[in-house]
Amino acid sequence: MFERIRTGIIKKTGIAAMSLLAGLAFFLVSAQAGAIDSFNGLSGEIRISGGTAHIPVMKEAARQIMTANSEISISIAGGGSGVGIKQVGEGIVDIGNSGRAPSDAEVEQYGLNLFKWAIDGVGVAVNPGNPVISLTKAQLKDIYSGKITNWKDLGGKDSLITVYTRDESSGTRAVFWKKALDKGDIVSSANFVVSNGAMKTAVANDPNAIGYVSVGHMDASVAGVALDGVFPTIDTVKSGEYTVARGLYSNTKGDPSGLTKLFIEYLLSPEGQQIVVQKGFVPVN
Amino acid sequence: MNIRILGGCLRVFSWGAVLLLTGSVLVLLGYLLVKGVPSLGRELIFGQVDVLDAVLLRKRVFDGLFPAIAGTLSVVLLSVGLAIPVGVCAGIYMSEFATVLQQRVFGLMFDILAGIPSIVIGLFGFSGAIFIHKYVSNDFRPCLAVSVVALAFLVLPYITRTTQASMQGLSIQTRQAALALGATRVQNIFYVLLPQSFSGILSGIILAIGRCAEDTAVIMLTGVVATAGIPGSLLGSYEALPFYIYYISSQYTDATELMSGYGAAIILLVVCAVLFVLAFIIKRRLAGPAGPVAGEFHG
Amino acid sequence: MTRVTQQTARIVFFISAAASAMAAALVFGFLLVFGFPLIGGGEFFSLLARPWSPGQGLYGFLPMTMGTAAISFLSIVFAFPLSLGTVCFMGGLGPARISRLLDGFVRFMTGIPTVIYGFLGIFLLVPVVRTLFTSAGSGMCILSASLMLSLLVSPTMIIFFKDGFDSVDFRYIRAADALGADSVQRLIYVILPGAWPGIVTGVIMGLGRAMGDTLIALMIAGNAVHVPGSILDSARTLTSHIALVSASDYESLAFKSIFACGLTLYVLNALAVIAVRRLGRKRGQV
Repeated sequence: MFERIRTGIIKKTGIAAMSLLAGLAFFLVSAQAGAIDSFNGLSGEIRISGGTAHIPVMKEAARQIMTANSEISISIAGGGSGVGIKQVGEGIVDIGNSGRAPSDAEVEQYGLNLFKWAIDGVGVAVNPGNPVISLTKAQLKDIYSGKITNWKDLGGKDSLITVYTRDESSGTRAVFWKKALDKGDIVSSANFVVSNGAMKTAVANDPNAIGYVSVGHMDASVAGVALDGVFPTIDTVKSGEYTVARGLYSNTKGDPSGLTKLFIEYLLSPEGQQIVVQKGFVPVN
Repeated sequence: MNIRILGGCLRVFSWGAVLLLTGSVLVLLGYLLVKGVPSLGRELIFGQVDVLDAVLLRKRVFDGLFPAIAGTLSVVLLSVGLAIPVGVCAGIYMSEFATVLQQRVFGLMFDILAGIPSIVIGLFGFSGAIFIHKYVSNDFRPCLAVSVVALAFLVLPYITRTTQASMQGLSIQTRQAALALGATRVQNIFYVLLPQSFSGILSGIILAIGRCAEDTAVIMLTGVVATAGIPGSLLGSYEALPFYIYYISSQYTDATELMSGYGAAIILLVVCAVLFVLAFIIKRRLAGPAGPVAGEFHG
Repeated sequence: MTRVTQQTARIVFFISAAASAMAAALVFGFLLVFGFPLIGGGEFFSLLARPWSPGQGLYGFLPMTMGTAAISFLSIVFAFPLSLGTVCFMGGLGPARISRLLDGFVRFMTGIPTVIYGFLGIFLLVPVVRTLFTSAGSGMCILSASLMLSLLVSPTMIIFFKDGFDSVDFRYIRAADALGADSVQRLIYVILPGAWPGIVTGVIMGLGRAMGDTLIALMIAGNAVHVPGSILDSARTLTSHIALVSASDYESLAFKSIFACGLTLYVLNALAVIAVRRLGRKRGQV
């Protein structure tokens, strides 16, 4: 039995790691060149969809490229990691973003190549006016499963907790559910929001809210909650202290070529990684 | 005595209803204007780019509403353009050639089509796009073309109904004069009936334009995205004003973006309200339309 | 014009009409075909009764049906008195000049896009509901959605009610006037009884429109997947469910199940249309 578990684990890490390495190796050489200049004289369209955490970086990168070259048009849609993976696999978009590594089954089914260009965390967030700033994992699980329903049970005000969550397609949700909730239940009365941006807005506007959002997205409008003593900041994610972390991936079907390849190279180049830092994520290079 | 009290209650009730209805709407619109008017201006639409550069497509607009407005304009013109010929011809048939049975059956189908929730039409458009993607061309995906066709489905009943109603609403003398002089039915339609019912048909078209401009549910599922620039081709993604408003309302990242949402809402409101009122005024010029007419189902 | 042109024109007109009529059937067909895996096995009716929990393989949409029912009916509860009162006002209980202004205002209201109601609902109504009703949680609940929705459907209902009022034979009204009735008596004894079919039509149309609306529920009802217990609960409608799930992938059973939702909405709408047409025929229209 141990043999099977061991080979299972090796196989799992194996496939994902190999695709990742293949992807990175593919670009290690070219990533050094002046990435934005490589778009000179080209024209065409790049279609991107998927993870909502990626959108600020995507938008800025697209803006840089489209300003430098007016013949290129880049369209960006959200939808969540699940959508990104499916759509790129089906050929509906050129780049599918995901906030979680595609599973082995997905990689095999679609023949995906993975490119990780940032590291991000998923932090618990509450309204800045909420006195509760620290929770244990057990408390978090109880809140989300509906066992704890009032902030006063946690040392806060006497008001009902409004739980916010994301839909099934969300990579942010998948990571949160797996690593922070340990795959626990999420109560069915939770409000649904459609993206990281929407989660941030919801929590910022509702004094009794609790939600989970990409660490890179967090700003003064929401308050990050310490989980088992560790606050979700970009530094704790970088140092590994905050364990609910994930990579931001851009996936392509097969080997990328043409504009798609250049775009991914751009993300991994110094200019692209600077955008990553600027938007609040941890760079990979 | 009893009727006096009842009458008094009824009066109070009706005044109350009117005040509540108009009051709520005025409060909402007032709030919108107060919040949104400060953001109206060149920057709201064109961002940092010169007006002329943007309109002549010399430079791209990244932080203004111009791409969304251009997208809405494209999708509206194309879908209404698609729906007009089909709708007018169908309306002519219903008014001039259909048998009673055909009028009943077709009329039922048109009414059903008119009442389908717009999200269901969007779902239909999306599934159609996926169907084509799988079985016809792997490059095909939800795009401007799909939205145009889906929106055409949405507004087809409006155009058909108003065409039929305005043609049937012509006086019997008008309808038969040319026939009495020896014209064929088709000549009658083209030389007499259509020109005479022109304002009614026009009001239906304007209604359709307004309906397309404001619709969000259909385009959400058939190709509109948050960022795409001005629509480049029929097979590409595009932005749209109502979708921008929806998107910004839940995902604004700072106060400026929120303000632009208010500004966009004002622009959309003004455009749609003007179109609907215009359609109504034109329709009013006809004497007595036949019963409750188009314009009632929104999604 | 030659005979050929005549015939061609006629054929073109017929094809247009037939194609337009087929459109409704085409939509139905696509929904059926795409949702077939879940519908084929006779599972459709079990779906109606099961909760939604894709993680556990449950693709029922009972919560959404309840959500649609709750929000739509509540909005009609709010809109009916508003609309009836307004139409009574226009029917004589209020001064004529104001009635004309009111008519124009109602027409203007029909042009207000639903996304604007949703947008304003988020920023104006939801915080108010949140502070007024402490058990409403975030303020995104059935109550908020119904209030906004009632403003959306009122113009529709008003227009149909008014048509009902106008369809009362004016000779009866003149007769009442001749007998010395004032506006209240005229309203209660002559107009309202005669306008009854128009009122029923208006309610059905308003209900249809409320059930078919997506944006308001999507933006201000909270979208929780449970069966709502009170009007202060967050809820999800069939329409917003379709919007939310279709943003996810399109191969999974979860996605296919929204076609079942679409079919439900389609059938409900068709029933409403048939009911209204029946009523119309009773009144002598076709």
